[in-house]
Amino acid sequence: MRAVDGVSIEVMPGRITGLIGPNGAGKSTFMAVLAGTLPATSGSIAFEGSDITRMPTYTRARRGLVRTFQLPSEFARLTVLENLLVAAPNNRGDSLWGALLGPRYWMADENRLVAQARGLLKRFGMSAKESDYAGTMSGGQKRLIEIMRALMLRPRCLLLDEPMSGVHPKIIEEIQHYLHSLREEGLTILMVEHELHLVEELCDTVVVMAQGKVIGSGTMASLRRQREIVDAYLVG
Amino acid sequence: MNTYYAANLLVYAGVDIIACLALNLQFGVSGIVNFSFIVFQAAGAYAAAVLSMPPHTASGYEFQLYVGGFQLPFPLPWIGGALAGGLLSIPVGLVVLRKLRSDYQAIALLVTSIIANTVITNARPFLNGAAGLALVPQPLQDQIDPGTDWYQYFYIGLTAVCVVLVWFVASRIVNSPFGRSLRAMRDHELAASALGKNPVALKMTIFIVGGVIAGLSGAILVGFIMLWAPSVWLFPETIILFAAVIVGGRGNNMGAVLGALLVPVGFEEVTRLLPSEFNMLGFAITPPVGLIPALQWVAIGLLIIGFLWFRPEGVRPEPRHVFDGAPVVPDAPEVELVRTA
Repeated sequence: MRAVDGVSIEVMPGRITGLIGPNGAGKSTFMAVLAGTLPATSGSIAFEGSDITRMPTYTRARRGLVRTFQLPSEFARLTVLENLLVAAPNNRGDSLWGALLGPRYWMADENRLVAQARGLLKRFGMSAKESDYAGTMSGGQKRLIEIMRALMLRPRCLLLDEPMSGVHPKIIEEIQHYLHSLREEGLTILMVEHELHLVEELCDTVVVMAQGKVIGSGTMASLRRQREIVDAYLVG
Repeated sequence: MNTYYAANLLVYAGVDIIACLALNLQFGVSGIVNFSFIVFQAAGAYAAAVLSMPPHTASGYEFQLYVGGFQLPFPLPWIGGALAGGLLSIPVGLVVLRKLRSDYQAIALLVTSIIANTVITNARPFLNGAAGLALVPQPLQDQIDPGTDWYQYFYIGLTAVCVVLVWFVASRIVNSPFGRSLRAMRDHELAASALGKNPVALKMTIFIVGGVIAGLSGAILVGFIMLWAPSVWLFPETIILFAAVIVGGRGNNMGAVLGALLVPVGFEEVTRLLPSEFNMLGFAITPPVGLIPALQWVAIGLLIIGFLWFRPEGVRPEPRHVFDGAPVVPDAPEVELVRTA
């Protein structure tokens, strides 16, 4: 069985692209293949003109292709602020030798990154939680942590796997607001989402998958006019 | 308390503290369940032994067979022991840590420990097989008479210097951004990888660092007890160190030290105080030979289960890392979120 079969999509820079489809369509598998957490058995993935098909996950992330996960993936025994700091690149203390050389060697980087992380926490309204363990946060807050963590990497393209699932409606509104503002700043986003009204509000283009294949793409309005897509997924 | 007894207690305590700090880096901080830890201590001990001993053909040493015999002066055997632990970590780590995940790593490392012990036991020409190595020279024994109290103090001092050195290294690692990356990998390896961390490189690095420290602990021990054989590094010895780290507090260096003092050292000392004959209802009862060591193992097993059940964070839990200025940040700058070039 092929979870993802012959899928070919193009994600436009500076836009939010939605990826929708019924359960088991292969959306999350496709996201995992894009991020490198699952290997592609065939085909190729190009990112900003480079073939990244054989690159490991961490190299893709360093290049700016960063994913979040369908299930909460916080570092539970690290504080919220530490969760963000883990993602920050260019810290001289983030190597064995740097660590052994001591705080004098890396403290300037650390202070700069703490300020950057606090800026994000402030923007996402979580400053008061910075010293709490991430594992004690609510589902919605964990989603925010994941998004903030990904942003610490200064991504070029963000892969969001159901960022609103299991989240309180108020936080959904907040996440929507943040995603809008990120798009305004030029970030490229590919997002798997089940809530169609959110997809309609957020996404510039939508790709529909079913049984591992792409069965259509375009704006939500144009997709609603295609009979087979309506039958496959959009009924109701 | 005579000097030799005190030296024995303190040197063993130092060796156990060093070993627990290393295991804490691997298991407590990084989540690597290294069930073959004792093998790296043994590698250090054997290496230090053959580096300091004369060739097996030398007078007085003909009764044993071993490779090497370089008669190197102190501290080269100890440095060699630490290097041996680190070098052994490379092939073991490359085989076990690259492809396998968590519980399978633990099984593979346990099997590695059993295989290593069996091979060394049966390959006599290599390190004298089951009989092991004896008459290992002590550090600077030509300069200071090992039979004197001064030598015991000297050895305690050497061990203490190594404890301080290892504590320094462990603290620098745990309290650095590198230590934070290790803890992140421990909590969620896939997420750490998706944030640009190379989990294999992180695991290999800390596995080798742990191997170097374990090797040093073996070198210190063999220089003190002057013999080393497969019977002293059977895989259950690793379990004692795990019990120490779990009881003391995973991820906390102070917890590792506390665990080392409570479990390996404490158990030895407490059971030493048990009488060899009990008086029950007027009857003198002599426990069978081997009962006390067997009960020690039962107690260690119960201790691990008890702590994991009732206080999994240990006596000294991992500290929360709070940064200066938390949590009020009125002047935090707005940040540019997207790379534009």
